Amino acid sequence: MLARFSLLVHIASRHLIVRRRQTLVATSGVAVGVGFFLAVSALMVGSQNDFVRQLIDVAPHIIISDELRSPPPQPGIAAYPGGAVQLHGYRIRNEVRGLKDWQRILASVNAIPGAIGSPSLSGAVTLRLGGRDEPLAIVGIEPGLEARVSSISDKLRAGHLDDLERVQGGVILGEELAQRLGRGMGDIVPATAANGTTRSLRIVALVKKGNSQLGSSSGYMLLREAQSLLGRPFIINRIGVKLSDPYAAETVAAGLEARYRYKAQSWQERSADFLSLLLTRNVIMYTVVSAILLVASFGIYTAVSNSVADKRRDIAILRSMGFSQGDLQMVFVLEGMALAVIGILLGWALGFGLMTILGSLEFPIGGEIQHMPLDRSPRQYAIAAAASLAAGVLAAWLPARKASRVDPVDILRGAV
Amino acid sequence: MVAPVLPEPVLVARHLRRELDGDPPPVLVADADLAVMPGRFTAIVGPSGCGKSSLLYLLGLIDRPTGGQLLFDGRDLAQMSGDERAAIRLEHFGFVFQFHFLLPEFTALENVMLPLRRLGRLSAREVEARATSLLADVGLAEKGWKLPEKLSGGERQRVAIARALANNPRLVLGDEPTGNLDSVNSARVVELFRALAHEQGRAVVCVTHDMGIADLADIRVSMLDGRVIEVREQNPPS
Repeated sequence: MLARFSLLVHIASRHLIVRRRQTLVATSGVAVGVGFFLAVSALMVGSQNDFVRQLIDVAPHIIISDELRSPPPQPGIAAYPGGAVQLHGYRIRNEVRGLKDWQRILASVNAIPGAIGSPSLSGAVTLRLGGRDEPLAIVGIEPGLEARVSSISDKLRAGHLDDLERVQGGVILGEELAQRLGRGMGDIVPATAANGTTRSLRIVALVKKGNSQLGSSSGYMLLREAQSLLGRPFIINRIGVKLSDPYAAETVAAGLEARYRYKAQSWQERSADFLSLLLTRNVIMYTVVSAILLVASFGIYTAVSNSVADKRRDIAILRSMGFSQGDLQMVFVLEGMALAVIGILLGWALGFGLMTILGSLEFPIGGEIQHMPLDRSPRQYAIAAAASLAAGVLAAWLPARKASRVDPVDILRGAV
Repeated sequence: MVAPVLPEPVLVARHLRRELDGDPPPVLVADADLAVMPGRFTAIVGPSGCGKSSLLYLLGLIDRPTGGQLLFDGRDLAQMSGDERAAIRLEHFGFVFQFHFLLPEFTALENVMLPLRRLGRLSAREVEARATSLLADVGLAEKGWKLPEKLSGGERQRVAIARALANNPRLVLGDEPTGNLDSVNSARVVELFRALAHEQGRAVVCVTHDMGIADLADIRVSMLDGRVIEVREQNPPS
């Protein structure tokens, strides 16, 4: 069996060597297809991964907030559940905002394996300085916990998250905001809350530019100090949750919401519009690159088809010698496979080269040198190879079938 | 006195028939009956278009009959699948054509090795040794490494004969094997064919229009209009 196979490989390879130019054209077609498939998909998948990572990391994987998805039942309705009479005009009870019983929620979040929760309180204050009013969404955090839940500490230009604990009235502001205020590290800014409380805050750290959400209008304080500034002691209105597996966020969020009724928003829900955009993008990408690979397989079809036409006499001789129809079909399928495999190897090299060039390009964005996000995983190489090989075998199989059906009698008697 | 044991025929054709599609169907071979004997050199002769080559291709399993039987070892080859017929062709039949029909990309030695490698009974080294000795038998020991285009017409035909003998076939078939050769080479090939029959005991069947060759054959089969009209013993075995 093995001897037969190696003989057929030998015959196929002789055919390819003799027909150098056709072989070169067909293999370079596959190589270009595979090479550009790799470059394009590395770029697309790389940028997608980068984008999704940013979506995931921009905020905690799950945010439990003090909102409810449906309005809370009012006492009138609670008193007559399922009543036939509809009540109007009763006094609506105002509840104090904030997550009730949040320690229990936090404890059950931390009980989920791989999950960490970080409580925070956010509220609005105004920074008043030299006749300018800058609104600021202040977030009170526990620095030790928040550092483990969000990537805020990576985004600091100067200072440290822990400095909030060390400095009385410490605040972290975005670079842009600090610039607008004309203040820098260690300077004092006065903040006024809605209830009239005013405190002097000292800038202990700055968030890098380019983080639009954080940079321009929000700031971080110690949770205790934020509670006191906003006049809401012991209250929190948000729990950020980080999971070891970000893709479990949807189910975990649904579980938490079902249990505590507070809105628990996963990052997928938060960015559903972006994710559906990515899906469309992937469909477009794979359509285009599959077309490239398909066109490359036409080259294999032509090469094998010409080879069959040229070798009709040899086919008849081999059949007269006792080679079976299957043998001859195999010879030409092997030719197609060999073209595909050589093309794939060259295409891998080409793709690697293209990726290296793309990866070496530098783009100054936001004052920093950035590189294109590329996905160089072997998965892309494997997909390109599998698709080309399959297309190549199919493209070779059609003319190979024709080879096996050559009738030796006419050729041997015709003696061309 | 012991009666001489008659050898069994290698191949027996009974009412072998080959028609083409058409109305009425053109008949290439009509109800041919023939026994191909081992150790004998059989020549099929007749005017061109009489169906002698058609009969040879039927006997050689390259073409399939539309009627009749073709018995080999008691089995009817006409009813076998393509793969089974290919396997029998590979192991038991050897073909030589008017044109040498060597594969142009392979050297003379590699051409001879093809059937040996396809049968796959010998190791790589044994295959090469056997192919080398077959080439030596036809006087081409020194030219095995040459491509067919570098050989003369007579040399190519001798390589083709060596290739036909590769798997030690019981039946050797020739379709005008000397048709393209000068008289010296032609005589050499005929001598080889006679030796295959008389010295090695193979059944040899040749189609020829050369009456000089037909006269050297042991059995002469004459055909006309697709029919076998005469089978004549010329050189009875001694």
